[in-house]
Amino acid sequence: MLQTAIKGGDRMKLIKGYRRTKQQKQPKKLPANHTLAEFEGKKLSGSLQELEGIIDSTVGKSADLAIRKLHVFGRFPAVMYSFSHMVQQAVVNEDILKPFMHAPMHLQGRSIELAQLPDILLYETLYHGEVQLQGGIDLLIRAILGGDTVVAVEGMKEAFIIGTRSVEKRSIEQPATEQVIRGPREGFIESLGTNLALIRYRLQSTELRIDSREMGSRSKSKIAICYMDGITDPEVLKELDRRLSEVEIDGILDSGYLEQFIEDNKWSPFPQVQYTERPDKVAANLLEGRVAILVDGSPLALVIPTVFGQFYQTVEDYTERFLLMSAIRLARLVALIFSLVFPSLYVAIISFNPELIPTEFAVAVAGGRAGVPFPAVIEVLIMEVSMEVLREATIRLPQQVGGALSIVGVLVIGQAAVAAGFASPITVVIIALTTIGSFATPAYNAALALRLLRFPLIIMAGIFGLYGIMVGLIVIANHVLSLKSFGVPYLSPLVPGDKEGMKDLLIRAPIKWMKNRPAFLHPQDNIKLHVEDQAPSPSTGETSPEKR
Amino acid sequence: MDNTQTRQITVLQTAAILVSTIIGVGVLSLPLFAARAAESAAPIITLIGSVIAFFGLALVTWLGIRFPDHTIIEYSEQIIGKWLGRLGSVFIIAFFAVLTSLTAREFGEVVVTAVLKTTPVEVTVIVMLMLAAISARKSLTTFAYIHNFYFPLLLVPCLMIAILSLNNAEIINLQPIIWSPANHVFVGVLTIAALFQGSFILTLIIPSMKQPKKAMKASLYGILIAGGLYIVIVAASVSVFGSEEIKKLLWPTLELAKATNLPANILERLDAAFLAVWVTAVFTTLLSSYFLTAYAMKQLFRLREHRVFSFILFPFIFFMAMVPQNVTQLYGIIEMVGRYGLIITIAYPALLLLLAMIRKKRGQM
Repeated sequence: MLQTAIKGGDRMKLIKGYRRTKQQKQPKKLPANHTLAEFEGKKLSGSLQELEGIIDSTVGKSADLAIRKLHVFGRFPAVMYSFSHMVQQAVVNEDILKPFMHAPMHLQGRSIELAQLPDILLYETLYHGEVQLQGGIDLLIRAILGGDTVVAVEGMKEAFIIGTRSVEKRSIEQPATEQVIRGPREGFIESLGTNLALIRYRLQSTELRIDSREMGSRSKSKIAICYMDGITDPEVLKELDRRLSEVEIDGILDSGYLEQFIEDNKWSPFPQVQYTERPDKVAANLLEGRVAILVDGSPLALVIPTVFGQFYQTVEDYTERFLLMSAIRLARLVALIFSLVFPSLYVAIISFNPELIPTEFAVAVAGGRAGVPFPAVIEVLIMEVSMEVLREATIRLPQQVGGALSIVGVLVIGQAAVAAGFASPITVVIIALTTIGSFATPAYNAALALRLLRFPLIIMAGIFGLYGIMVGLIVIANHVLSLKSFGVPYLSPLVPGDKEGMKDLLIRAPIKWMKNRPAFLHPQDNIKLHVEDQAPSPSTGETSPEKR
Repeated sequence: MDNTQTRQITVLQTAAILVSTIIGVGVLSLPLFAARAAESAAPIITLIGSVIAFFGLALVTWLGIRFPDHTIIEYSEQIIGKWLGRLGSVFIIAFFAVLTSLTAREFGEVVVTAVLKTTPVEVTVIVMLMLAAISARKSLTTFAYIHNFYFPLLLVPCLMIAILSLNNAEIINLQPIIWSPANHVFVGVLTIAALFQGSFILTLIIPSMKQPKKAMKASLYGILIAGGLYIVIVAASVSVFGSEEIKKLLWPTLELAKATNLPANILERLDAAFLAVWVTAVFTTLLSSYFLTAYAMKQLFRLREHRVFSFILFPFIFFMAMVPQNVTQLYGIIEMVGRYGLIITIAYPALLLLLAMIRKKRGQM
């Protein structure tokens, strides 16, 4: 009876609430914000009882809030708040409780007035680096939520905020998605502080600026915007600031959330913001005049402005010698183009223009396709889709099963499909090349974009042949040409042409040649490399064979 | 952050716009026009045609330098008065709308004849016009980027075909290099000069150029590259086929592509591949005339955005494209419209320039 009564009451409330909102048409205020906002500007009165009441009504309902009452130096009643699992207990015991409770030798015997207490505590007894005195109640609550410890003393108008935040974090590991053979092995982790340290020790410069802001009405995630003062174009910073200030979301859980708010064109398949988990890459980009955005809790930093060229370049291009890496970069570019047009080219040539390929090969292809009942476009589409399914399954499965799955997949897609007359051997070759090509692209999101665009191209090729492919490519190219990332044309430095940037586009020129920063980023300081007028002559630098 | 309003088109980009606008659907039938007019003297009259075209473009450039902040739609009203100027602009718009539709139709005919033999011509025309209409909605800066991007893609296949065909070239076919009195040289020269008409787009570009004073350099480069390529193609096809045979071919350049082989037999035949790459050439030409039409309408009606016109124009251009009954009639119309179009693209600017000089009208820089 009682239960049903409660249920009935609830329902009444719900209906009432519903009616009210319908009648008044007023958006409900967010409750989490509500309590914090209520105390905005409100100061501590000095009464512990009042503070206790406030804490009780806001964060006190959580089981993990630790409340510890104590007497400062045995005399002044005080209370300490912290979230017990976000702080290090040893630090709280040794560095907070002990200095608060136990008066040091030189103070023993002195009579301490309440008015002197804050100064004595702050300057003489508390040995902790991050201590501040704050009076605003909302600031105190926010500090507790952030993992700091708050100590309030009866009669004091300000409370101590002691930085004790210590959240478990994983160790620094090799970046999983951007591995290199030659180059640093460190990757970002989830903790923002560690990530900033990883960047700062690489760029020990007064010019490295880190702006911090809080985002997410509920998550209060910390965002760090890193840039080089004196290099980065201030317009980009201004625009970033404008875009960030427009974001109103309850939580930013990863930099990926942020990316979708600040990108220029959300309908484009092409990523207009680059992400990376390599601190060295971030440092290099900062030096070029870009801006990096880090989000607390995300191991991926965003880098803006982004141009398309960045997606097939790797750190290794710069750490290894230029000749070899230029060749490899070209190979990567070929793979990228493969992954976009290869299957559609195959479809177009087989179904519309078999006269293009040499006769012997055409005969071989026709022989392979003899038993296949579908037209080439259907065959390729089926194979592509099953390849995508297989790829997705391999990523999601736990590693132990993944291996088994890939064997089954290889057998099914490769051998059995041909044996069953489902696909021709040449199709399998084409699909395999395409898939491998898409894996050779260093940036996962760019590879994804091209993989997606492959499907409309195949369909166009199936309808209009080579002409259809060209039309499709023109549409894609025009779209890419109209894209911009924070005011920078997406295909720079190719279009609009930039001589300095071209040296680092298709090939990677010797580092000595790249004297200037890429002009499309509008850096304030253009010069990257100071070269002396006289190049060191080989005879002085090295010992010639005769001398030896 | 959107800096599309400022002047940021460079000289090189302007030249690229001119070249990729000029090189278009006309490349395929150009040797036919030239050979029909002057037989073995075809390369020479192509040269003369280019010179005349350059003269017309120079007039537009001079006007543009005189009025660096305005297009022909705007300064014509200053020079010859509001209503006469508007009448002239209407003619320009109508002419380029017709030119767009004829280009699309000519292209559709080529595709249907050479590659997609069972596809109705309407489909290819619609696809091509759609492509141009969508792209014509973009800003002038993006328009410049598009041309800049495709520019190298146009030159390479044309030059490659010309160079590879030298295998079969007979120098005797190019002699005598001067024409005989019996030829209709004058008409032929005008037809060839008409193939350069797309370069009229320069009048839109100059107000957005970084340095409008250097527009003459850009137009010189543009005509040099485009004209040079035209001459090479004409010379290559005449030397391979001979002028008498060319007169029997509708698209000699396509035949040239068929006759050439890639070394090492990578591709058995080149014509389909050539046509595919050539789609970009047609696209840029089509885009230019479409863009010119929409942009000129925007300025005539004093609107801020040219985007609205891109889809409004679409049905009209499509229906105009479908008017010619067959290829023969189509080419008759193309030659006629091209020659009369010279009145709009050369005579009209000449008149404007003359009047501007007499009336001492000048835009401020």
